[in-house]
Amino acid sequence: MSATRTFRLKNVGLYIFLLILTAMVGFPLLLMVGESFMHSNEIIRWPPIVIPGDPTLENYTKMFTQQDLNLPRWLFNSVFVASSYTLAVLVVCSLAAYAFARLNFPGRNVLFFLFLVTITIPSQVTFIPNYLLMRDLKFLDTYNALIWPGVANVFGVFLLRQFFMAIPKELEEAAILDGASRFGVYWRVILPLSTNALIALAIFVFLNNYNDLFWPLLVTNRLEMRTLPAGLTVMNGAYGTLDRGLVLAGATFASLPVLFFYIIFQRRILKGITLTGMGGQ
Amino acid sequence: MPMAQATGTIPQRRLDALAGRWRWSASRRREAITAYLFLVPFLVFFAIFIVRSVVYGINVSFYDWKVLAPDHKWLGLKNYETLLKDPVWWTSIRNTAIFALLTVIGTTILALAAALAVNAPIRGRDFFRVVFYAPGVLSVGVVGILWQWMMDTNFGVINYGLNLLGLPKIPWLSDANVVLPSLSLVTIWWGFGFPMLIFLAGLQGIPEPLYEAAKIDGANSRQLFFRITLPLLRPTILFVTVTQFIAHLQVFGQPYIITGGGPGYASYSVIIYLYQQAVRYLQAGYASAIAIGLAVIMIGLTLLQFAFLGRRPEGE
Repeated sequence: MSATRTFRLKNVGLYIFLLILTAMVGFPLLLMVGESFMHSNEIIRWPPIVIPGDPTLENYTKMFTQQDLNLPRWLFNSVFVASSYTLAVLVVCSLAAYAFARLNFPGRNVLFFLFLVTITIPSQVTFIPNYLLMRDLKFLDTYNALIWPGVANVFGVFLLRQFFMAIPKELEEAAILDGASRFGVYWRVILPLSTNALIALAIFVFLNNYNDLFWPLLVTNRLEMRTLPAGLTVMNGAYGTLDRGLVLAGATFASLPVLFFYIIFQRRILKGITLTGMGGQ
Repeated sequence: MPMAQATGTIPQRRLDALAGRWRWSASRRREAITAYLFLVPFLVFFAIFIVRSVVYGINVSFYDWKVLAPDHKWLGLKNYETLLKDPVWWTSIRNTAIFALLTVIGTTILALAAALAVNAPIRGRDFFRVVFYAPGVLSVGVVGILWQWMMDTNFGVINYGLNLLGLPKIPWLSDANVVLPSLSLVTIWWGFGFPMLIFLAGLQGIPEPLYEAAKIDGANSRQLFFRITLPLLRPTILFVTVTQFIAHLQVFGQPYIITGGGPGYASYSVIIYLYQQAVRYLQAGYASAIAIGLAVIMIGLTLLQFAFLGRRPEGE
């Protein structure tokens, strides 16, 4: 009896903690979504309100029709760049990770050590040289500049290597006996068994790229080549006072795809992280 | 004749062994070629955008390198000498260090607490996991615009709430002593979801029988946490704090958008300084010296963290 009671009491404390944290974490998000459905006079109203009194889609329609703002274009740029980047990272890193997980080759340890060293070097060291390189290649203000420089993701190689090493070798040997090539093994055995890890890595690198501000600010200048984060700062500076409702509508719209992706895959993402040993075990 | 004789004297199994070794090294060579074919795409990007750029960046930092100038004057260590005497550099280092320390401590504690809470077998935990991760999908631009207004001293919703509770206004972004904790608060809100997932993964890797055995021995929940959970999470904590430190020492977007580095220089970060030098003043040489200065500090801190947190727990 007393055991069940303490168990319940503990859960009450837990719920109080969780609900307070939910309120604190959720409030700004609620505000963002709420304001995106408000008329401009409601947004600046004092005292402030969170739930729109007279909900409107005005901001959302304006977002797609107002010419000088380019919000749809920035959104497209962000999604296109981050998706291409994520795809490139997954392909390039999983190929390299397979070699490190399963194949013997001279220089293996040297390369691995070199990768480890570069993880501790902050990316800012490479910003200026990469910027100059982009300029010389005439890549400034193009998607190329936004996609390629970060593709060699050492972290991604480590993560996938850990995961691949945990896959039983017998599966692979069976495929080789059936006449599969190494690439066939990678493509038809290893990758299908690694979807959780690939999804975990995908959401991680997608968000990093999608939310990056520094690099897009550096390599894009033309308004129509900005990504969403970079574009929003341009608006901030160029217009002085920005149309909050419009920006928050754009923000809400931009975060929905990622949020849905996360909601659908959250269990698999967690599993992917668990099995790659990022969690320590 | 001697040849045949010699061959005749070599035992058959040794011949087989030799042939076997030859075959083995041929397959080994094939394996190495296959491996490099797998590695080529990565190595190409790695060589161009990382190795080349690090070497190049170190080189640029020895020059008076203006972005658009046709040629550049060799300065040796002059940029670094200037850096050591540059008050803006030291201010930005101080700000960045305070910000990173507050953010890493706050994020780690909150992420661990949240992970413990949503690891418990309770109703609605998937909902909580989604909510806690949700701010992380926002871009820094949106985070900045949202909080800039929320934290406004006179018209912000936070101070309005404090006022309703009868509490005094807090000058979140306009007071030099408050602005760094404020930005840190924003960053913790924005980013604790991912470390929470990592802690959650770490918690799920701890074998359940360990807890059961300890419970049989009469351990209470506090003892379970400090004697089992925390020691076994040590590698996870190391991973989280190291990666968080590396990320937050490079803070740029939050101060750049929310405060512009102000008031005065109170939230001016190292990367804002680097950005201003490179983009506004086109001083690539000096900006590179800033980057390498930061790199040295970050590598040093990472090694320190490994030294303090990386020790194996006692009895292992």
